[in-house]
Amino acid sequence: MPTTPLSVRYEDDLRLFASVWRRIGIVLLAVGVVAFPFVVDGRWVMTANFALVAVVGAVGLMILTGFTGQISLGHAAFLAIGAYTAAVTGDTFGLPFWLSIPLGGALAALVGLAVGPFALRLRGLYLAIVTLGLVFIVNHLLRAFPEVTGGLSGIRVPMLWWFDGPRVGDATWELGPLTLASREQLYFLFVLITVGVVLFATNLRRSRTGRAMNAVRDRDVAAAVMGVNVARTKLEAFGISSFIAGMAGAMFGYVQTFITIDPPFNLIMSIEYIAMIVLGGVGTVVGAVLGGLAFVAIGPIAEHLLGGLPLLSELSSSQQQRLMFAVIVGAFLLLEPLGLYGVWIRIKIYFMAWPFRY
Amino acid sequence: MQTFLQLLFAGLALGAIYALVALGFVVIYRSSQVFNFAHGEFLMFGTFLMTTFLAVGLWWWVALVLAMLATGLLGVGVERAILRPMIGRPVFVTIIMTIFIGLVLRVAVITFWGVGERGMPTPWRTDGGIRLLDAPMLFNALWALVFAGVMLVGFYLLFQRSKLGVAMRATATDQEVALGLGIPVGRVFAVSWLIAGILAALAGIFLGMFPRSVNINMSFVALAAFPAVLIGGLESPLGAVIAGLSLGVLQLLTQGYVNPMLGSFGQNFHQVLPFVLMIGFLVVRPYGLFGTREVERV
Repeated sequence: MPTTPLSVRYEDDLRLFASVWRRIGIVLLAVGVVAFPFVVDGRWVMTANFALVAVVGAVGLMILTGFTGQISLGHAAFLAIGAYTAAVTGDTFGLPFWLSIPLGGALAALVGLAVGPFALRLRGLYLAIVTLGLVFIVNHLLRAFPEVTGGLSGIRVPMLWWFDGPRVGDATWELGPLTLASREQLYFLFVLITVGVVLFATNLRRSRTGRAMNAVRDRDVAAAVMGVNVARTKLEAFGISSFIAGMAGAMFGYVQTFITIDPPFNLIMSIEYIAMIVLGGVGTVVGAVLGGLAFVAIGPIAEHLLGGLPLLSELSSSQQQRLMFAVIVGAFLLLEPLGLYGVWIRIKIYFMAWPFRY
Repeated sequence: MQTFLQLLFAGLALGAIYALVALGFVVIYRSSQVFNFAHGEFLMFGTFLMTTFLAVGLWWWVALVLAMLATGLLGVGVERAILRPMIGRPVFVTIIMTIFIGLVLRVAVITFWGVGERGMPTPWRTDGGIRLLDAPMLFNALWALVFAGVMLVGFYLLFQRSKLGVAMRATATDQEVALGLGIPVGRVFAVSWLIAGILAALAGIFLGMFPRSVNINMSFVALAAFPAVLIGGLESPLGAVIAGLSLGVLQLLTQGYVNPMLGSFGQNFHQVLPFVLMIGFLVVRPYGLFGTREVERV
């Protein structure tokens, strides 16, 4: 495999897919993603939908924690806001999903911007626990107004194509030999959103704002000395991150079709998102994507493997998944600090240097 | 008045437990800058272990000491095996690690002890009590206060007067300098985890007594104690005790007087209020009541 070509012009630096190999890889990936729902079992398409939600949510957290270094245990709160916005706007007001998703994002971003100022004064653990408090507060508010949110009994999340119109998946689409049922339609919609979010995050990282975020993460005082507006950067990170988290929440609601408050929107969910970005590799968009995908893939694998152990087979499947995930991510933290991204880099370096070794 | 006193006494007992839990966080945080999210699970482990010790017929006080020591040793082992290699890594890595340790421990407890509820036997009459100022106070609450008081005084003496305490304070100030001065930093970490485990087991055992019970949800008391830890200041044992006691009293008074006034909004309002107060408080004083203000240097 050849190395990355030397950049000699400014335009070379600007390109997202610099080398021929990258472009080939992207085309292959695109073909794979489009072909995926038609070659696998329907259950796996559903799993893929959850994975796409996880990827979007993880990218959102990556912007806040990975790029800007603000530890947030409140990610579940933003997802809850997004999901409940989608549910209420869809169920009560009959808004279509392409309005509900940005609305959920916007509402979450509002809350995120309201929390942002706390991050100006607090850092590290203090911020982590204040954002954890946000999860409790949001859950309490959702529970306190049952006439709007359905309270403990939960609420439906209808995904409408048009105002009070038909739902996504009501009609099965026939495209020649291919049939697109409800979950395949959802899959392609989610792929579009995910690609958009991933491209946005990749470009954000390369922009002035993204570099300011990295500077704040590495040393906020030093960043301020160099002329970075720390307060504004942190607020931007909170706003953008919670917007994306709100979108992920709305998507989560659509996959579930019916949601309750706790579970799933609790501390565990926040932790899972943090774990995803750590598993993938902190500070990289690829890491968020890999982490989100790995998180969802671990579930079925755990069921398969742990089902045979006599002591553990008594645990519920969600407990098994969590245990498996905890052990794997824990091992990664101990052995490979850069996460899956680090593994990928090492594989790449091995082949780039082949037949020589470092 | 009687209701008020009753709530106050119950609140103090709960506050004593919060103080013990908060102290467990502070001990570990001071020496190793790790916030131990698995503390609640340590607490649960110690409590369940205690019920087993009692079930096999050990004398209550022996069982108490054994359960406390075992939990402390578990803490030492966890620190040595998992958290020691994490030194120097970003804060969120230790956060995740401790949360995962908690998850695994939780699964282990459920696997060994099951999900059933059980009572915590006591050497005194479990539902008996005294009357103080015309209001009933359970023996359990009284003993919780006594034990918390003894632990706190002992802890204070250890920290301020003993050689080990000085070593712990030195480690808390600067690990590298402490190491350079010949303080066995690793051993200090071990001791602080041991103390934290002991405190956790003690808190759990009193938390499991009548009118509450020993169950797998008791680890959530650690989450409930977070506001006390942060309001008190992460590095301050005194702050943890003051904030813990006030948190307990405040919670029960809110539950008794404020919740009924708020209608459906008031349901479980007392569990959220501490977090709201904490957020408000930290905006005014970002390092809590007695926490160390960080000096910023580039």
